[in-house]
Amino acid sequence: MPAITVSNLSKTFQSKRKAAGLGGSFRALFRPQYSTVEAVRGLSFEMEPGELLGFIGPNGAGKSTTIKILTGILHPSGGEAQVLGYTPWKERQKLAFHIGTVFGQRPQLWYHLPAIDTFTLFGKIYELDDAETKRRIAYLAETFEIGDLLETPVRKLSLGQRMRCEVAASLLHKPKLLLLDEPSIGLDVVAKQHIRDAIRAMSEQEKVGVLLTSHDAGDLEALCHRVIIINHGQIVYQDKVSNLKRKFLTRKLVEVRYAGEVGKDFALEGMETLKTGRYGVKLTFDTRQTPADAVLARLSAAGTLVDITISDPPLEEVIAMIYEQANQ
Amino acid sequence: MKKYWFLFTTQVVNSLAYPGELVGRSLLILPFMWIFYQLWSVTFNAAGADEINGLTVAMTLWYLMLAETIELSRPRLGNTISDAVKDGSIAYILSKPYDFLLYHYATSMGETLFRAVLNAFFGGAMVWWLVGAPPNPHGWPFVILAVLGAWTLNFCIAALIGLSAFVVEDISAFQWIYQKFAFIFGGLLIPLDFYPPWLQAISRALPFQAMLYAPARLFVEPSAEAFAATIGMQLAWIAALGLLLAYFYRRSIHVLTVNGG
Repeated sequence: MPAITVSNLSKTFQSKRKAAGLGGSFRALFRPQYSTVEAVRGLSFEMEPGELLGFIGPNGAGKSTTIKILTGILHPSGGEAQVLGYTPWKERQKLAFHIGTVFGQRPQLWYHLPAIDTFTLFGKIYELDDAETKRRIAYLAETFEIGDLLETPVRKLSLGQRMRCEVAASLLHKPKLLLLDEPSIGLDVVAKQHIRDAIRAMSEQEKVGVLLTSHDAGDLEALCHRVIIINHGQIVYQDKVSNLKRKFLTRKLVEVRYAGEVGKDFALEGMETLKTGRYGVKLTFDTRQTPADAVLARLSAAGTLVDITISDPPLEEVIAMIYEQANQ
Repeated sequence: MKKYWFLFTTQVVNSLAYPGELVGRSLLILPFMWIFYQLWSVTFNAAGADEINGLTVAMTLWYLMLAETIELSRPRLGNTISDAVKDGSIAYILSKPYDFLLYHYATSMGETLFRAVLNAFFGGAMVWWLVGAPPNPHGWPFVILAVLGAWTLNFCIAALIGLSAFVVEDISAFQWIYQKFAFIFGGLLIPLDFYPPWLQAISRALPFQAMLYAPARLFVEPSAEAFAATIGMQLAWIAALGLLLAYFYRRSIHVLTVNGG
């Protein structure tokens, strides 16, 4: 049985509209106007137990709304969903025993208390016995490397440290499914890596399924087997991450700084020059046509390299590409 | 119920995170009691009476001390729910295996405990110094029960206001109206005994007096009848408003819009 089955799910919100200025406010008072926002439109997908599924899309795409419907927080306007055999909005409390949740930067840990107090409280809330809670805390402290942070008041932890504690807390009751809504938002590269490593380790050791929303393509690459790209409340693409990478993340951006000046007509075979400065140049290339080692060889042959950055195009660009393909 | 007890105790510990702020806030009751003393001693002197409608200056002051303790200690639950809706943190409360209303009841009672103890301590010390010893301690256990009833009743009203945040998000206007109604019809500044009969009749028909007047009046003149009447009245209001609360909660949860997606 799939861990999650979603069929034709939709959610609409009524949003109040108001014209600018005092007049607009006054009119809205007597004749309020509402517009209907379709946050989720006819969404259907399945997720297998133990799967790591990435749910990505730009801000306002409907990712968080979907997660909140799947945890039972929001009632859908239409369609069906089953999470671990429960209908979330009808059996919220029963489902809560089997899922863990992390919602971006919103804390679930009690802010003024050391994290250990929240862990102990969660042990009671999830009805674990005291010995089991202790064993579990020790295990999570080791996996998430938070042993020395547990007795510090949460407000004194850095964002990266706190997020590790947040994700660990969500796993205290050994959930079968972890729903992570933007777990890496605002984190630096090292902190992101820490979180990703720990989530991957937990998924491997306990076979916990992970549904992760993000607008960071790095989360997707590092963690997920499969990806669903959603925009305007609809699925625009779903496939294995390896396929997505092969198909769409083939174009790379390269920024290079040389020790000497570069000419205005700087160009290298197999690369498109986007911008040239006095000492630097920005280029793009497609890994299917020009292998990365050939690019590096050509760039270093062109002068003495001082600095080089190779990055993926922003996810928004990838989505735009996927749209373009869909239209064709 | 064990989990709610732990939520309560965790909140009690949490409320001690900033002891200086907790004590500082409780000191507010000192000027209040001083002003009440000045006001009511002048009033009693002007009337040339030791007792007005069954209350002496000392009884009035002890009455006001308890009414102020109840009012100053009661948690601002409406704001707590409204803030959780506005910043989206309500998502966590709803994704845990506990009842939303019982969660708030447990945590709001936990938030109240030390505030109440400190308000009663400072307010009581001040009033003792101004007008002499408190009423007979044999009635105190009953008063404590009546105060718990008062906070439970406050919970029902404040949670109803808080739930309106699911629809309107900003509830400060409702909060303001509630507070002023509690001041006037609850007898926070003037005991209901001093009101004209028509205003007393209106006040007695509303729940606010079961929250402030009844426990404070029980404190200064304890009796089995007064206790039974107070608890009976509180239970009736808690039952009526509790049912309304449960109904509104079911309705509100359908229309909840969580900010941030």
